[in-house]
Amino acid sequence: MMSWIWSILFFAGTVWTTFSSGGDFALNAMMAGAQKAVTLCISLGGAYMLWMGLLGIAKEAGLIAALSKKLRRPCEWLFPGAGEATGAITLNIAANMLGMGNAATPFGLEAMRLMQKNNKDKRRATDAMCVFLAVNASALELIPTTMIGLRGAAGSAQPSAIVITTLISSGLATIVAIFLCRLLARES
Amino acid sequence: MSAAVIPLLAAAVVVYALYKKVNVYDAFVNGAKESLPLIARILPYMAAMLIVIELLNTGGMMDMITNLLSGPLSRLGLPAELLPMALLRPFSGSAAMAFVSDIFDKNGVDSVLGMAASTMMGSSETIFYTLALYFGCVGIQKTRFTLPVALIASLVSVIASIWICNLMFG
Repeated sequence: MMSWIWSILFFAGTVWTTFSSGGDFALNAMMAGAQKAVTLCISLGGAYMLWMGLLGIAKEAGLIAALSKKLRRPCEWLFPGAGEATGAITLNIAANMLGMGNAATPFGLEAMRLMQKNNKDKRRATDAMCVFLAVNASALELIPTTMIGLRGAAGSAQPSAIVITTLISSGLATIVAIFLCRLLARES
Repeated sequence: MSAAVIPLLAAAVVVYALYKKVNVYDAFVNGAKESLPLIARILPYMAAMLIVIELLNTGGMMDMITNLLSGPLSRLGLPAELLPMALLRPFSGSAAMAFVSDIFDKNGVDSVLGMAASTMMGSSETIFYTLALYFGCVGIQKTRFTLPVALIASLVSVIASIWICNLMFG
């Protein structure tokens, strides 16, 4: 799926840009994209260091295992077969809800690693992974901190007026995503 | 107030770890060490995604597609001003954000459109990038129904944002 989408986007984007703006422009755009990835990774690197370091301390202290154990039951309903990834999943969702995307990603990748460990077919996503990513993609946020900040900077008189609307909108999207995943997981 | 919770929580974790007789310093360094291979693993996926996104954005193909779709979609009740950002959001947060600030400038931050744009931005995610990153990182190739479900969820948040903002601020 990803392979097809990427190929189509790459082909269409390259041909379109080459004919409309010239080959040099197309190559420069590709190069700019690749360089953006590198700078982004470097700036993310700092955030990952911080959060994975703190995660390391929490792990050693047994906090993540305790969290997994406590939340295993509700988590097992939402993410069937998530098992030991429960703690990391919880941290990822909590970070997302608080609008801390930079912290959410390392927790989420750790959760994926743990779920992949017990996956029988390493190339195929498990039910739990599909739900996890669908929930991540629907961006459930309690406090959309980034957006509130941006609205404030743009001179809004009520920057946090969007808290409730965002919660309703992303809540609906999350419910639909979970519902669809459960429906589709049962059928396949 | 709420901003104090996270750093204080981090401090509490450290104190608790000390109490549990954990070598806190080593635990931090070992945890942080794992971020290096992680970065190395996700960089190629980011590069693949960002190369395509940059091509589509600066090459003007995205503009062409949004122009093409804005007619039929605005007839379905989606305000034409919000369309480019709704279409761009799954691919690129920064590109979608550019359209949001455009709406802020033209219509006002606290207008119904400004509210709807803010809500849409806060309640959706860069889906393609997230999926590529998370699945790519552990080597999953068969993503099954994840992408269609994520896209439908994103559509739900677009419609819900417009609906709720019209209701509350309209």
